[in-house]
Amino acid sequence: MTFIDFINFHIVPGVVLGSIYAVGAIGITMVFGILRFAHLAHGDLATMGAFIALSTMGLFGASPWVGLPVAMIFAAAIAVGIDKTFYDYLRDRPKILTVMASLGVALMLRSVVQVVWGVDSTTYQRGIVRPDEYFGILLRDRELYTLLAVATIVIGLEAFLRKSKWGKAMRAMSDNPDLARLSGVDNRHVTMLTWAIVGALCAAAGFLLGLNNELNSMMGWHLLLPMFAAAILGGVGRVEGALLGGLIVGIAEELSVLILPGQYKAATAFVILLLILLVRPRGLLNGKVL
Amino acid sequence: MSALLSMQAVRGGYGDADILQGVSITVAPREIVVIVGPNGAGKSTAMKAVFGLLHVRGGQILFDGDDITGWAPNRIVKRGVCYVPQVDNVFREMTVHENFEMGAFLRKGDLDAAYDRVYGLFPDLRAKRKALAGDLSGGQRQMVAMGRALMLDPKLLLLDEPTAGLSPKYMEQIFTITRDVRDSGVSIMLVEQHAKQALAFCDRGYVLATGANRHEGTGAALLADREVAQMFLGG
Ligand SMILES: Nc1ncnc2c1ncn2[C@@H]1O[C@H](COP(=O)(O)OP(=O)(O)O)[C@@H](O)[C@H]1O
Ligand SMILES: [Mg+2]
Repeated sequence: MTFIDFINFHIVPGVVLGSIYAVGAIGITMVFGILRFAHLAHGDLATMGAFIALSTMGLFGASPWVGLPVAMIFAAAIAVGIDKTFYDYLRDRPKILTVMASLGVALMLRSVVQVVWGVDSTTYQRGIVRPDEYFGILLRDRELYTLLAVATIVIGLEAFLRKSKWGKAMRAMSDNPDLARLSGVDNRHVTMLTWAIVGALCAAAGFLLGLNNELNSMMGWHLLLPMFAAAILGGVGRVEGALLGGLIVGIAEELSVLILPGQYKAATAFVILLLILLVRPRGLLNGKVL
Repeated sequence: MSALLSMQAVRGGYGDADILQGVSITVAPREIVVIVGPNGAGKSTAMKAVFGLLHVRGGQILFDGDDITGWAPNRIVKRGVCYVPQVDNVFREMTVHENFEMGAFLRKGDLDAAYDRVYGLFPDLRAKRKALAGDLSGGQRQMVAMGRALMLDPKLLLLDEPTAGLSPKYMEQIFTITRDVRDSGVSIMLVEQHAKQALAFCDRGYVLATGANRHEGTGAALLADREVAQMFLGG
C-alpha cells in the first residue's frame, strides 16, 4: 500500500468519522462541564435529529442539507423540553439520579423514533457517489461538506463561548459555579442555553452520521461510546479537547482494521476510554476530574 | 453614627446547628472593619451571613436602610455588596480581563470607567490582562478576585482572608490596596488570620470566638488589650 492509499483508505475516513464524533463529544463535554453529569440520551437525541432531517428533506423534496438547520432547531427545543420535564426536578439530588433518568429518556426517544420512522435502515440519498481527487486525496462531496460543516460549527461555537456575554457566562459556570452565581449569573438561563446548544449539536452529529453512513433507530446509541471516549480523552469540559478526542477516536477506529478484524472496530473506542482513564484521567487537555 | 451595615445578634448556620450564636457587627461608611479570631470561630460564616449564604434564624442584618435578612445573594449583589470568598475566588480558566467582565455581569452600559478603576488599583494586572487567572501567582490571583468584586462598584466589599498564604510583601500590597479601595468610597469588612498586622491597619476590629462576639474596639485598642494579645496574638 502506498502512502497516498494509506491516507485515502484509512486517514480520510477516520477524519470524517472523527469530526462527526467530535460534534457529539462537544455536546457531551458541555453537559459534563456545566451541568456535571453524563448524558446518556445524547446518542438517541442524535438519532432523532437525523430522522427529523430526513422528514424535512422529504417535505421539501430538496437536498438533505435543508434538513440540517431544521433538525438542529427542533432538537434544541426537544433538549430544552426534556430538561424542563425531567432533569430539572432532579437538580438538587445526587447526579447519579439524573444520569439514570437520562438513560430512561434515551429509551423513550428511541421508542418515539421507532414508532414514527420504523426500525429499518434508510439513507438520505441512494446510489454510489464517486469521489473527486484533490491533490491525490480522494474525497466525496458529502465528506468535503461534512468537514466544512463541522469546521463551521466548531468555529461558531468557539466564537460564541469566547466573545459573547452568555458564552462567557457558560464558561464561568463550568469553571466555578459558586463564583458565577456570586457574580449574578442566573443558573437557569445558562442551563437552558446549554441544552439548546447541546440539542443542536446532537442533531448535527446524527445528520452527518446518517449522511456518510445510514440512518437507523440504533445509530445514536452506537455513537454513545465513541463520543464519551472522545470527550474524556480530550478532557472533560474542554471543547477543543472534544474536537481533538473525536478525531483521534475516529482515526484510531479506521486504523484498527489494519491489525484487528473489522467487527472489533467499535471496541477501539472502549480500549481508548480504558487507557485514558488509567493513564491520564483528566484527559489530554487537563479537563475536570471525574 | 449611621452604619452602612449592621448585624444585630445574628444566629444561624449551614444545617440545623447554629454556628453563629449572636454575632453583632457594624460597618460605617468608608470604614475598614477587621474580624479576627481562632480557626473555626465563625468568621467566614459571619461574612456569608451578610451575603445571604446562610440560614439566619435569629437577629437582623440591615444594609443601607434595608433589612436584607434572608435575601438571596444575587439580590444582595444588586443592592451593592460584593463578596470575595476565601478560596476558589477566581475563574481559573478565564483571562484576567474576562474575570473582570464576569464581575460586571449584572452591569449595563459603558464599563470603561470600571475597567480603568480596577487596572488603576492593580497596575500589575494590566500587562497580564490576557493571562489565565489560574496561571497567576497567589498574590496576583487575589488581586483578580478583588478586582472582579469591585467591577460592580459595591458600597460594601467583603474580603475573606485575602492575604492567606501570601508573602509579607504581597500582604502589605493587599493592605495598601484595600486602603485605596476604602479611600475611593467603599466600606470594607475583612476577615484576617494575620491578626497583628490587620488590627494595626484597620479602623475597627472584632474578635470572634465560638460563634459569638468576644471583643471589639479600635484596632489600636484591641492591640493594646492584654487579654486579646494573649488569646489571639501569641502574647
Ligand atoms: N459549608 C459548611 N457547612 C457546614 N459547616 C461549616 C461549613 N463551613 C464551615 N462550617 C463550620 O462552621 C464553623 C465555623 O467555620 P468558619 O466560619 O469557616 O470559621 P473561620 O472562618 O472563623 O475559621 C466550623 O466549625 C466549621 O466546621
Ligand atoms: Mg474562614
